[in-house]
Amino acid sequence: MSANTATAAVAAVDPARVRSATSVPRRRRRVDPVRVGLAIWGVVVFAFLFLPIIVMFAYSFNTGRLLASWQGFGFTAYTSALANPVIVGSVITSISAAAGAALLSTLLGTLGGIALARSRASSLSVLVATVILGVTLFTPEIVDAVSMLPWFVSLGTDAGIGLFNNGLVRLVIAHAVLSVAVVTFIIRARMAGLDASLEEAAADLYATPWRRFTQITLPVASPAIWAGALMSFTLSLDNTIVSSFVQVPGSTPWPVYIFASLRVGLRPEIAAVSTVMFLLTLLALGVVAYVLRRGDQSAEDIAKTLAAG
Amino acid sequence: MTTDAAPPTTAPRSTPRARRRRGITGYEALGFPTWAYVVFFFVVPLGLVLWYSFGYKPDLFNAHANDVLSLDRYVEALDATFIGTFWNTLRIGVVGTLICLAISVPFAYWLAVKLNPKWRPLALALVLVPFWTNFLVRTLGWQIILSPRGFVSDALQNLGIIDGRLDVLYTAGAVQLGVVYNYLPLMILPLYVAIDRAGPALREASADLGANRWRTLWNVTLPLAAPGIASGCLLVFIPLMGDYITASVLGGAQGNMIGQLVASQFNTAQNWALGSAMAVLLMLFIAGAVAIFGGIALIVRAFVRRARRVDLDVELPGGAS
Repeated sequence: MSANTATAAVAAVDPARVRSATSVPRRRRRVDPVRVGLAIWGVVVFAFLFLPIIVMFAYSFNTGRLLASWQGFGFTAYTSALANPVIVGSVITSISAAAGAALLSTLLGTLGGIALARSRASSLSVLVATVILGVTLFTPEIVDAVSMLPWFVSLGTDAGIGLFNNGLVRLVIAHAVLSVAVVTFIIRARMAGLDASLEEAAADLYATPWRRFTQITLPVASPAIWAGALMSFTLSLDNTIVSSFVQVPGSTPWPVYIFASLRVGLRPEIAAVSTVMFLLTLLALGVVAYVLRRGDQSAEDIAKTLAAG
Repeated sequence: MTTDAAPPTTAPRSTPRARRRRGITGYEALGFPTWAYVVFFFVVPLGLVLWYSFGYKPDLFNAHANDVLSLDRYVEALDATFIGTFWNTLRIGVVGTLICLAISVPFAYWLAVKLNPKWRPLALALVLVPFWTNFLVRTLGWQIILSPRGFVSDALQNLGIIDGRLDVLYTAGAVQLGVVYNYLPLMILPLYVAIDRAGPALREASADLGANRWRTLWNVTLPLAAPGIASGCLLVFIPLMGDYITASVLGGAQGNMIGQLVASQFNTAQNWALGSAMAVLLMLFIAGAVAIFGGIALIVRAFVRRARRVDLDVELPGGAS
């Protein structure tokens, strides 16, 4: 039991102070070695998670011709990336596709999530919808890719619907398929946590269905809607396999550009643009975190909301 | 988002039960655009792949034909290369999932239990940051680190730890490292949520009843985290099995994953029939692998429960999905 009292004694101290305490031999008996070990493990895992990101950041200032061989410090990679129309075009394609996919999948996911949360759980349609959405989540990306390419070709070339020959449209549709389940499940989790009494009260007070939806249901769901939108935006920016299949020449998204340049040699421009996009993602994260904070949700709830998907 | 999708409110003084039932039909209709979209752009294309897999490649210029249906493409797909690559992929997938689990259990436990609650939101945000960095870019970061002419190689040589240049890049070990890195946050998050949801009460009760910390870990904390472990393993294992990006960045010629084989039938060989059969087989094999490992886990659990006198069958407040 002495170990437990030691745990209780250290419980109020933060991990940093516990670590520094280990160096003082006099206090060693009071320090819980398991706790120190776990804290060290935590720091090691964080270092592991951030190592390649920091390396890419550092190498974006490489003035050399090849990414991996360091020449000197400078901003040449940033300036030459900006001057390269292919790179700028692919980044614009990526961001537009991500915005479109986020909009589409958030719209569909909000409707689907509310429908799932507010329908009778045992009904057949809920079961079928949940299973199909689950299958979209657990389908390997390569299978999504090889199934969507022939379908777009069938719709665009064989059926002659010109819309499906547009590269951006294809990217938006395909990315939305990949993230609609995530958004739906995030919103269902949020709505299921709140009972329907607010909406019922609004109905009792003679609110029209439209007003009830826009003034009660949507505001209540909004933190989850934001989280879902952010999730699908980043999933779209990240996507390489499906994009490389459904893309049309002229609308190559950024990850596909990087993947293609693997064969011809990686240049520091890739690290430079990635750094800029990383900072933009952090900015988007910050904005969403701020919005959610205003809707009095802690960062912990946000992470849980996201992880529940 | 149309008004007519919502239920009509005609009888506001109806009983709660009737009102609830009326709400049900309206909300079910609300989901219709979503289901229609998923069916049209996911279920139908998958059906198309299944259909193509029964066809054949007629000539050099056509990718598929379906006038004669057969299972020949499946026989053709199941050749030695496919089976060998599948085993290779399965090994990387299983080992990768287990390593992720081994890293994440202590880490998530530390995050959820030991870390000062004041720092917890920041720590969670930090776990999420790599998750939101481009997948390919993170992998390229490892390529720089592991490069034989990179700074790590130089440093290790200067320190005298290795004799020649670092020889890790383009080996199976590099691929293993890359997949563990890329899928680690997907294991940490569900585990964190599961441990956090279980709350401290049962752990404290276990300690109060005289269990030491290892017994508490084995008999209380880990069983309570089981839903998180299960969903984490699925979230890591399934995308990992279909991934070939990590392998082609870090594995070079050695990094042949099963996904690459499927992709090449569509990209280079232009044999959609064979590629479709491979895609269907891949899905079946992954489902089979998940079923087998799930079955093993259930059997082990049944034995453990039988061996134990006290069965801790605790209902979680809403398990992790």
